[in-house]
Order: sequence, then C-alpha cells, then structure tokens
Amino acid sequence: MEETKTSGQLSLAIPSKDSPEATSSQMTAKKTPEAGASLSSASLLSSNLVLTCVDTQIDPNQATGVGLAGIGKSVATSKINDNTSSDSNSNSNSKKSRPSLWYAIYFPQLGKLDDLQQKDALTDLAAKAISVSSTVSFHELALVCEIRSSLGYFGGINLLHDKLKGVLSTALIAMDQPEHFFYASSPTVSGSLLLARAGQNKLVYQKSNLRSALGTLPVDVLNLSKEQNRRLYNMGIRHLKDIWRLPGDGIRKRFGSEFMDQLNKALGKAQEPTLNYLPPPTFSSSYDLPYELENLDRLLPIVDEIIGQLCDFLTRRDLSTSHLMFSLFHEKRSPTCIEISLRQTSRSSTHFLLLVETYFHNLTIPAAVIAISLVVNQFDAFFSHTDSLLLDGRPDATSRENNLNQFMEQLKARLGDNYLKGISCVAEHRPEYASACVDINTHTKKNSIKKYTQDKVATRPRPIWLLEKPEELVEKNSRLYHRKAISIISGPERIETAWWADHDVRRDYYIAQEVSGSRLWIYRERSGERRWFLHGYFS
Amino acid sequence: MNSYISAPDSLQAKAGNASGHIDQLLNSNPNLWRGCDMAGQGFHGHSTGFSQLDSILPGKGWPQKGLMEVISPQWGMGELQLLLPLMRSVIDSGKWILWISPPHSVYAPALVQAGIDTNQILVVKIDASCKDALWSMEKAFQTENCGLVLAWQNWLPGTVLRRLQLAADTGNTLGVIFKKNECKHSPSPTRLQIKESSLQKDHFSTAQVTVLKARGNFRSLSTDIDLYSHQLA
Repeated sequence: MEETKTSGQLSLAIPSKDSPEATSSQMTAKKTPEAGASLSSASLLSSNLVLTCVDTQIDPNQATGVGLAGIGKSVATSKINDNTSSDSNSNSNSKKSRPSLWYAIYFPQLGKLDDLQQKDALTDLAAKAISVSSTVSFHELALVCEIRSSLGYFGGINLLHDKLKGVLSTALIAMDQPEHFFYASSPTVSGSLLLARAGQNKLVYQKSNLRSALGTLPVDVLNLSKEQNRRLYNMGIRHLKDIWRLPGDGIRKRFGSEFMDQLNKALGKAQEPTLNYLPPPTFSSSYDLPYELENLDRLLPIVDEIIGQLCDFLTRRDLSTSHLMFSLFHEKRSPTCIEISLRQTSRSSTHFLLLVETYFHNLTIPAAVIAISLVVNQFDAFFSHTDSLLLDGRPDATSRENNLNQFMEQLKARLGDNYLKGISCVAEHRPEYASACVDINTHTKKNSIKKYTQDKVATRPRPIWLLEKPEELVEKNSRLYHRKAISIISGPERIETAWWADHDVRRDYYIAQEVSGSRLWIYRERSGERRWFLHGYFS
Repeated sequence: MNSYISAPDSLQAKAGNASGHIDQLLNSNPNLWRGCDMAGQGFHGHSTGFSQLDSILPGKGWPQKGLMEVISPQWGMGELQLLLPLMRSVIDSGKWILWISPPHSVYAPALVQAGIDTNQILVVKIDASCKDALWSMEKAFQTENCGLVLAWQNWLPGTVLRRLQLAADTGNTLGVIFKKNECKHSPSPTRLQIKESSLQKDHFSTAQVTVLKARGNFRSLSTDIDLYSHQLA
C-alpha cells in the first residue's frame, strides 16, 4: 500500500544515543509528495525508555527539525510496524490491559475565531471525528479521540489517519478554514495534546517512551501565562526535560499544583477527566402501510402512533422539539414533505396530532400513500410549566401564553406562512415602507418590551388602510374625483425623501373627504405630471 | 328612550332588602332577561368611547361577546374609527386582535398613533380563501387570548352567521363583521348593525350611526358622531 502512494520512502530507526540497551521500535515513515524534497517530513519518533531522565534525549535539532518540517503544507503520514516492535515486555502489557491510545488533533487556525464560533467549529469537527472513534473529547483548539479500540477495525493507524484527514479536510474547507491540522498520538490525552500543539506529528506507542518524546518540546506548548513563561525562562528552562530535572516539590511551590498536574497527566501519572462529545439525538420512525391509502384521515391513527413514539422518546430524554418533518411516500412519485415548525417547543402528543390533522386538512397528495415517516433533528431542553398554588382554577400567564402559541401554530398550519402575518412599524419617512408585515414566529410579545414606539411614527395623522398601489384621481374642472367629488380638509404635508434610492418620494399629502363620507389620504406628485393619487383611507 | 334605562337605578335606590333579593335572583340567571332593562342584567358593555353612541346602545356600550355587524355602503367610511377605543381597551387587557381579510393593508403607524400596540395584532390576508377565513374566525373565538375578531365578509349565509355567533358567545369574544350591503332579514345572530352616512353635505366630520337592531332595543335609534375629533379637521 505504501509503495503505491509514496514518492520516496525512508525507513528510519532512531536509536537512542546513550542507552543502547533500550530497543528502538522500527518504523517507516513515508514522505508525501507535497512536502518537497528539502527534508523528510516524517516526524515519527519513538524514542526509548530511560529511567534516568537526565540524558535521555534525542538531539533536539533533529527532533524539532523533523517535526516542524511538516507544518507548512503537508501533513505527514506515519506508519508503524507493530510486528517489528521487539519490546516484548510492553507488548504483552498492552495485550493485557489494552491501554488507550489518544489521538490529538490540533487546529491552530481556529484561534482566530471568537469563543462561540470556536465551540461551534469544534462541535462540527467532532461530529466528523466520531466516525473513527467513539470517544471524542473537547480541548482548547483541539480534539482528542481514543483510537486504540478502533485500530483493528480500520486496519492500522495509517488508514485511520487517512480517513480522518479526508473528513476533517472537507469539514474545514466547508468552514472556510485552511485545511491543515496537526496531530499526534500517545497513551495520554495531555501528552498527545502537547505533541500536537508543538506541531510534531508524532506517534508514541508506549507510555514509557512518552517522557523522552515530550522532553524535547519547548515550554511554550504548556500555554502558560506570560509571567510564568518569564520565570521559567529566567530559570534557564527551555524544554520540558529541563523541568523534569528540577525537584517536583520546588516546582509545585513556585508554579502551583496545576502546572505539575498538567505535566503528570501528560506522563500518565495522573487521571485525566475529559469532556466528551455526545452526538445530537435524532428521532426517526417510519411505517409501511399494508395497502395504499388515498384518504389522509385514515392515516391519522398511524400518525398518532408515530407521535406517541416521538413523545416517549422526548420524555425519556427530557427533551422537547419545535420542528417535525413528516414525509408521505408514494409509488413512483417523490415523497410529499410536511414540515411542522412550532412557535414554542412542545412534547404534547395531542398538540402535535392536532397540528398534523390541520396540515392534512389542506393537503392534496399526488398519489396514494404507501409509507409514512417522521424525522426530528432539532431538540431543546424541556421546560415544564408550573402551576401556582393559589390559582383557584384561573389560568395564569404561562398557560395563556401556551394557549396563544397553540392557537397561532394551528392558524399557521391551516393558512400557511404567507397568509398569516403580524404587523410592525418601521422607522421610515416613505409612507409605503413605514409599515411591515412580519412573520408571526418572530413577532412575539417579547419584542414589545419597548412598548409601542411612538417616536418611530410620524406625528401627522396616518390612515388605517394604506392602498398597496396608489389609485390615480381624476381632476375635472379643478375638482378632484375618486368615485365622487373630493374636497381637501387639511394639508399639505410634504414628504420628500429617499432621493438617494431608486424609489424616491416627492409628494404633498392632504387629508380629504369624499362626498359619500370617506376620509381619504391623497397626495400630489411634486415632479413630473403633478398627478393626484389616493393613498389611503382613514376609515 | 332614556327613561327605561335609568329606571332600575332609582328603583334599587328605593328598594329594601326584599326587592334587592328579587333583583339578585333575576340577575343570577343569564338565560332570563327582560327587554326593558339590559344594563341591569349583566349586559354591561365596553364603552364605545363616544358618549352619543353609548346612550343609544343597550348596555351603554359594545356588547361583551357575540357577533356584531357593521354595515357601511363602502369601506373606509369611518367604521374603524368607531372601534378604535374598543381595540385600545382590548390590547391594554393583554388580548390579541385578529384581522381577517381586511380589504387593504393595515397600516401600523396609524394604529400606533391611536395607542394600539401592533405586537398583539394578527392579520389574515385577504387572499386567504373564505373557508379558511371563517375557520380561523371560529378558532379565534374559541381561544381566550383573542379579545376581538374583525372580519370583512360581504355576504355570509344565515347558518354560518349562527355558527359564528354561537362560537363567539361560548368563547366570550366579540366578533365584528364588516359588510357593505344591508340585508334586512339577516338572521338573529346579528345583534347590532351600525350604519353610517354623512348627515350634512357641507360638514364632513360627522357620521350618522344607526343602531338597526340590538338585543334590548325595540326600534332603531340613530345619532350623529364626530368620528375624527381626535384628528385635526
């Protein structure tokens, strides 16, 4: 498999310089074509276990040089040959207890986003990463997956990485982010994170090798405060291994226990609780009818049953929903979809059923129904409404609000969004734009905390009816006629605005009275033919 | 005409315990009503905001519930000005107003000028089918959140009116149907018809309002009202 993909392949075994007794895992690293010929981007190190930590290091230049080369564009793929590992001791260990292997993925590009966007982006990425591991946890700009359990399934870390790289790259591109990321794998969560953060795309299999692998990292990866960094620098500490040379007690006193905990966690000496990603719940249920149904009323008992399942689902998880998607399937036709969106989340089966019934009432189906399905993807926490103790059977504010919402949802279900509107004022001088139809879902009482905004409204009288299209008036013998003769009562009110826009307005408005008794709002153009128009009824 | 409305007040003032008890008994049953005394029998209306109109309406104001027809020869005769005070009180009590198929677009700034919060107004557009419009009217009567339903329907069969009347009565809601043409033999659900026409040709600001039919009135009464008094003439 390697041969087919790689342009150059090098196999490097990194022997420990000063501990010949330790065996080195043999590994092969392949160079991806993009990496360029300058340096092998392979950054795989598995250095050896040495008990005396003082001199156990690989030449830092070599290590970081190798690691950082991969940062630019490409992400090196690493390969380890399990069978050649001669470390029989730890091999047998791993067989016994199967220590977990944590795969950290670090996305430095997300640092530009604000907190909320970061969270959203990480959640999206975690939803992709869940394809390779059942445990994905959130960290700062990073995700960590447990992959030991899925190595066998995917056939090795290389294939697993290829798969992950594919899905994460497409997800990052979809977010308009650069598609590169850093990764590292080690037996501890923090260890993997530190390695990934250092940009060293490393794989460390054995816990015993962690110390030497981490030792070469600069202290920057610990994400310390400026003051702490300065103190470490003044103490002559540049790498993590320098810290390990110092007595633990002293460090703990000077830098606090959190600092030591982080290091201990990285080495696997302390427990690491993680915040795991939980995929959002979805509900889907479908029912194949035993025979074709033309009459939608006959479908209602089945809908009732499906809604019952949904309500059970919601009750068990303590959720409620505001968005239901029914699909009615037909033979040789595309399915009819019914989207029910609610003003307020609910889990009441009677309410759902009533809405479906209302939707069905207006629905014409192209063909007989052979199957029905319900999919619900959006959920909210369930808030039950409490009744007050001293109510005396009178409905309180929340139940009134509920009734109102149910009433509006029912109206919306029957009439459709386009036919049911709320109205609101807009701060605008042009009369035809000063009133707007708004969607009832956004048109709630909460908007009216400001109370009605008198200041937004013109001070001169305005008509209750406004004609969508002004009607032209007839002028005969210097008298105006609509249906009957019109005489002007008051005016003019000059409205001259929006010359910068396409629909500029230059009008003189008058209040007028028709002989029959209607009070009218009329205007005369101030430009062009200076025609008269009827614009509204005071009614 | 005012005599039989003011009569019970004077009676009650004179009456002792016994007659008070009788009144109480009479008033306790809503199905029992005496034509001569609407105000004293729980038919307390919403004040219309126009004192002349209050004086000719039984119950001294709009009925609390039921169906009302407002007839005007054409839209825009001032029929909404007549209802503005009622709308204001409905909105202030926290209830909603449903406008069903108004002939033109409802202009929010005018309502705000009249002191009506547009956040509690729902409009069913005119292009909704008549069946849907009537259905939503009935549904609105049934919810307690709707305080007033305004509908523009020119012709409705008696059975439909009767059904709406029942819904409005049980839902404790007032429904107003605006019509263009008067139907003399409009079936019973209609309680109140108000006809408007300008009284004097040279003085435009007054309109003639006639109560053609109302529970408690024996004959039609009419009055002249200055509908646009709050606006500058």
